[in-house]
Amino acid sequence: MVLENGLIFKNMKYKEEIIRAMDWLGSKPDTVFTGQAIGCSGHAISTTVANVSQDKRVELPVFEETQLGMATGMAMTGWVPITCYPRFDFFILSLNQLVNHLDKMQDMSKGDMKPKVIIRVAVGSKVPFSAGPQHTQNHTEAMKKMLTEIEVVELMEPEDVFPAYERAYNSDKSFLMVEHSEFYNSK
Amino acid sequence: MKIPRKYTKVRDVNITPEELIAFEDKVKDAYENAKVQGPVHLSKNNENELIELFQYIHEEDWVLSAWRNHYHALLHGVDPDKLFNWISEGRSMGTNNTKPNFYASSIVGGIIPLALGVAAGLKRSNSNRRVWCFIGDMTMETGVFHEAYKYSQNMNLPLQFVIEDNNLSVHTPTDTAWGKRMKVPKNVIYYKYKMSYPHHGTGKWVNF
Repeated sequence: MVLENGLIFKNMKYKEEIIRAMDWLGSKPDTVFTGQAIGCSGHAISTTVANVSQDKRVELPVFEETQLGMATGMAMTGWVPITCYPRFDFFILSLNQLVNHLDKMQDMSKGDMKPKVIIRVAVGSKVPFSAGPQHTQNHTEAMKKMLTEIEVVELMEPEDVFPAYERAYNSDKSFLMVEHSEFYNSK
Repeated sequence: MKIPRKYTKVRDVNITPEELIAFEDKVKDAYENAKVQGPVHLSKNNENELIELFQYIHEEDWVLSAWRNHYHALLHGVDPDKLFNWISEGRSMGTNNTKPNFYASSIVGGIIPLALGVAAGLKRSNSNRRVWCFIGDMTMETGVFHEAYKYSQNMNLPLQFVIEDNNLSVHTPTDTAWGKRMKVPKNVIYYKYKMSYPHHGTGKWVNF
């Protein structure tokens, strides 16, 4: 849309769709949202859960690996955690819990244990400015190679977002959802 | 071993020390006759401590353990025949069930965040059940134990850590490797024992 002063106003559907998906997940009785800056403000993902009721948002300390293990443990008791990491670079600190536990639990229990965790990870923006090599990496392809039970979904277009989160919630397995924070301001 | 006063006995444990030892002897025989398709980590010398402790563990509580888990599984109610079959299939380090709630992992400290999450889930569900997390002395020294212990205490989560101290991680003496042992935190159940078996296997080379 072109405004009278000549500025172009873009309707940012990507972020709107993420907010719509979080609102929908937040309406489910068995979901709980965890992570740093999830109970309070702090980064781009924080703004996408602002409509979710406060009692469903658990603010956690900075302990990435423990965060994912906690989410898995909560899922073992029937909750569906949506656990959030603002940068892929931070998320890789949780690989032990991701690869050795959440991803192997079904095999290690002969299918008896199927904890469902929805992991949200954001790839940091490189434009209009880059946050640097420790805040902008995208390890999606590496994750696809490492994981066997967890499905990895990279969210590239606004129209992909809501159906992907809907499918993740309705599935009986865990998902790693890769978002691009750059798209929050460009798509 | 001191059991905190807040706990009361909630079940009879009908397994004797001799039966626990006999189960591991059966595994030992199968292993040495190449009937077990994976590594085993056998227990011995801590039968009395565990039999006492499991009287305080409700049958619907969660028990999380590690690679040396046969005693914990049996005492929590995992069927001995089922357990033996799993061990024979090479699943000794991951004898996991939801009836009873039992999970074991072969990654050092890996169960600690899971235990924290199960406890958080139980609390959020207003459950009366709790989590019993069995770890060794080297695991107690790790960073993940420190942060999880601190969080569980601060948030009043229904999580009880049990430290089983044999002063070893595989063959590494914990006190030598760390230079000094840390003080056992309060509200942690702790006991010492001496290993009879090697870290894994039986001490006998097996040809498949």
